[in-house]
Amino acid sequence: MAQNTFEETLSHLTRLSQKPGVQSTLILSRDTGAILRTTGLISKSSSANPNSTLPASAETSSDSYTNGRKEGGLQSAEDVASMVWAFLGAAGNLVENLDREDEVKLLTLRMRKNELVILPAPKFIMVMIHDTPPA
Amino acid sequence: MDAAMERRREEIVAKKAKLAELKRQRELRKEAASNRTSLTASPDPIHQPSPRKPNAEDIDLILKKINEERPRSTGPGSPAQRAARPISVISSDNEGSTSYKTTTTMVDRESQTMSMAPLTTVFEFEAETKKDTEVIMYSKAVQTSDDWSPPKSRGVGQSDSEPEGSPTRTPRASKRLSRRQKERDEEIRAMLRREIEEELKAAQQTNPDADPTRTSGKENFPFKTLTDEELAAVERSDDFIGFVERSTKVLERALDQQLEYDILADYAQGRLNLDDEDEGQGSLAAKKGRRVKEIAQFWDDRWSKKRMISDLGFSAKFPELVLASYTKNPSAPHDPDGLIQVWNLHMHDRPEYIFHAQSDILTAKFSPFHPNLIIGGAYSGQVLLWDTRAKSAPVQRTPLTGSGHTHPIYSLDIVGTQNANNIISCSTDGVVCGWTVDMLSQPQEFLELTSPPPSKTDDMAPTCIAFPQSDPTYFLAGTEEGSIYPCHRYDRAGAKAGVDSRVKYSGHAAPVMSLDFHPAKGQIDLGDLVLSSSVDWSVKLWKVRPPAATGTSNALTSGNPQLVTPILDIAREDLVYDARWSPVKPSVFALVDGAGSLEVWDINVDVEVPVQKVTPSDNKRGAFASMPSGLGYMNRSLNKLAWERNEGRRVAVGGMDGVVTVFEVGHDLGGLETRSEEWSGVKRLVSRLEAVGEAGGK
Repeated sequence: MAQNTFEETLSHLTRLSQKPGVQSTLILSRDTGAILRTTGLISKSSSANPNSTLPASAETSSDSYTNGRKEGGLQSAEDVASMVWAFLGAAGNLVENLDREDEVKLLTLRMRKNELVILPAPKFIMVMIHDTPPA
Repeated sequence: MDAAMERRREEIVAKKAKLAELKRQRELRKEAASNRTSLTASPDPIHQPSPRKPNAEDIDLILKKINEERPRSTGPGSPAQRAARPISVISSDNEGSTSYKTTTTMVDRESQTMSMAPLTTVFEFEAETKKDTEVIMYSKAVQTSDDWSPPKSRGVGQSDSEPEGSPTRTPRASKRLSRRQKERDEEIRAMLRREIEEELKAAQQTNPDADPTRTSGKENFPFKTLTDEELAAVERSDDFIGFVERSTKVLERALDQQLEYDILADYAQGRLNLDDEDEGQGSLAAKKGRRVKEIAQFWDDRWSKKRMISDLGFSAKFPELVLASYTKNPSAPHDPDGLIQVWNLHMHDRPEYIFHAQSDILTAKFSPFHPNLIIGGAYSGQVLLWDTRAKSAPVQRTPLTGSGHTHPIYSLDIVGTQNANNIISCSTDGVVCGWTVDMLSQPQEFLELTSPPPSKTDDMAPTCIAFPQSDPTYFLAGTEEGSIYPCHRYDRAGAKAGVDSRVKYSGHAAPVMSLDFHPAKGQIDLGDLVLSSSVDWSVKLWKVRPPAATGTSNALTSGNPQLVTPILDIAREDLVYDARWSPVKPSVFALVDGAGSLEVWDINVDVEVPVQKVTPSDNKRGAFASMPSGLGYMNRSLNKLAWERNEGRRVAVGGMDGVVTVFEVGHDLGGLETRSEEWSGVKRLVSRLEAVGEAGGK
C-alpha cells in the first residue's frame, strides 16, 4: 500500500479535510513540534466561518503559518499546535504515571461545539478538529 | 560574557602572531587568489565550494578566501578596527555593516563582497526563525554550516536577541579554520561535525528550559517554522507518507463511526427519534423481521470509475471488511486493468486496501483459512495471491505460460481444512487446476473437463464450479450450454477423474451463472441442495446425487447419462446473475438480477414470490451517474452478491455501475438463532417437491 505517491497521499488529506463537519486538520512533527501541514486554521476564529474547509493542502504550511500569525487570534495554527502539544504532554504524563510501559494511542476530546481527535505516532502527530455531532 | 571576551582577545593575539607568520605566504596567495577569483567571478562558485563537494581544490579555495577575508577586514584597517571586531560579534550591531562598507570601497576587494553575497540571504533566514537552527539539524545543513557560520555570528550580533549559542560558536569555528588552514579538509570537516554535535547537544539542553514557559506565551513558542525545503524533505519521506496513510484512515473511521451512533446520546432529553425502531409495533412486527435495509454504499472516484464489479466477498475473520474485484477501466489505459478494493463498513468513503493486477480480475475471495490472504482469478488465466500486509501488487501469481490456465478464470475456490487446503481454479476452456497457496509456479493437479459422449464436441466451457461443504474431492460445474455436470478431482471407485458422465443435471437453457451448495450447518443435513442461477431468467433448486452412489445405481444406463431435473424451478422476470444461500438460515437465499434488484427468498414462506425485493439507492451513482436515465436498464444490472459468512445479517451486492451496496436483513432472514422448524420445514418441502417431481416424471 505504500506504493502511493506523494500526491495521492495528499489527496487523502485533502479529502479528509473536506469531509462534512471537519473544520481543520494539523500535522505536527513529534520531536520538534514543527507544523508540517495544516488546513482550515487560517481564519482566526471558528465562529467567523465555522465550516471553512479550505483546500489548503495545496499551500505550504509556512504560508498558513504567516497568515495565521498576521491575523493573530485564538485559532491560529501555532496556537492550536502549542495547546495540543501541551495537552498531549499532560496526557502522556498521566499515562506514564498509571503504567510506565503504556503509551497514548488516541485522544478524543469532545467539547460542546467541537471535537478534537489527536492521533500521536512515533514521528508525527495528527490533529483533527470537527463539529460535535448533533446529539 | 567577560570571560568570553577575554578568551576572544587571547585568540586574537594568537591570530595576530599567526598572521605575522603567514604574511609572506599570504602575499603569494593573494596574488594567486586574485587571479583565481578574477577567473571565477560569478558568486556561485564562491559559495558552492563548501564541503558538500569534497574537492581538495575547492576547499583550498575557501580557505584562501577566508585567509584573504581576515586580513582585509582587519589588516589593512587600523588596529582599532581589529580590536573592535570581537566586540562587534558580541554586542554592537553596526560593526558588521561598516565592515561591509569598507570592503565595498575598493575594487581590489570585489572578491570579498562576493563571498559576502550569500551571507545576506542567510541573514533574513536567521532573523525570521531565530532559535530554529538549533532545533533541527539535517545532515545537509551540517555540511554547509562551515560556509555559513561566520555570517551567522554577525547576524545574531545585529539582532542582539540571542546572546547564547551561536556567537560563541562562530569565532571558535573561524579560529579553528585559521589554525588548520594547511591541514587536510577531512579534518576540518570532522571538526565541524563535532561542533555541530555540540550545538545539537546545547540545543537539546536549551529545549527543556523553554518547556515550562511554553504554555505561557508566544515568545517562547516551541515550534519552529520549517523552510520550504525542509518541509518538502519531511513530506516526501516514507515515514510521513505512511503516517498520513494510516492516520487519515483512523480519522475517517472515527468520523464515520460517529455518524452511526453518538455515545453521548441523552434519551432523557426527549428528542423523539422516530426511526424504524418504532415501526415494529403490532402487525408491522413481522414486516420488520423481514426488513432489508441499505446500510452502506462504496464507491471511489479515482478507482471505481467505469469499472464493473466482477466479484464480492466478506472476510471470514473481520466481518466488516468487504472485498470487491473490478474489471478494467477502458478509458484509463495507464491504470492497472485488474483491481480489488477492500472496503470497511466503518469507513465509507475510502477503501481500506487497494490491490492491482495486470489483467482484469474476474473472481476473488478472502482465504477462509488465512485472514491476510486474498486470492483472485484473472482474465489472463493467472491465479493471483495478495497479502494485506504487503503492497498492492500480488505477492504470488501463476505463470502466464506453460502449465496452468491459458483461458480466463471465472471461478475459483479454496477447499480443504485449515492445515491442508488447496486453491481450485477453473477456466473457460475446461481446465481445472489445483494449487497450493505456498507455490503458484506449478499446479499440483491438472484436470481437463470434457463433455460426455452424447454432445457433439468434446469441448466444455464451465462458467462456474461449486464444492459441497462436506467433500472437497467432488464438485459441480455449470456450463455455457446450460447443463450442470458432477466432476471428480481424483479417480475413485466406479468413476474416473473428470466429468462424471453418468449424471447430468439439465434444466437451464442458457449459461449457468452461479452454483451454490447449501451451507448446512444445522440439525438436518441439507448439504445436497444446490441453487443455480442462469441467464434464462430462472433460478433452480436441485437435489444432488451423492457422488459415491451414482456409479452403482445407474450401471444399467451405460452410455446414456441419467438426466436429473430440478426439484424446484423459480422463474424470474429478468436475467439472474447470482443466487446464494444464506449462511445461517436454512430456507433463505438471495439473488440479484439484470434489472438491478436484490431479492431475498424464504422457501419456507413462499416459493413463488420473494420475501423482499429492494434496489440499491441512487446516492452514489457511480459510472453512469451522468448518463441519461433512458439507459438505466442496463446500468442497474447487479452481477454479484455475497453474504456475510458468520452471522448472515448482511448482503453485499454490486454490478455494472461499480458501486458496492451493503444491505442488512431483518432477524427473520439473518442472524444466528434459527428455529428447528426452519430446518424441518425445508426438509419437508424438499421431500414434497421430490414426490411431485417423480409423479410428474411418470
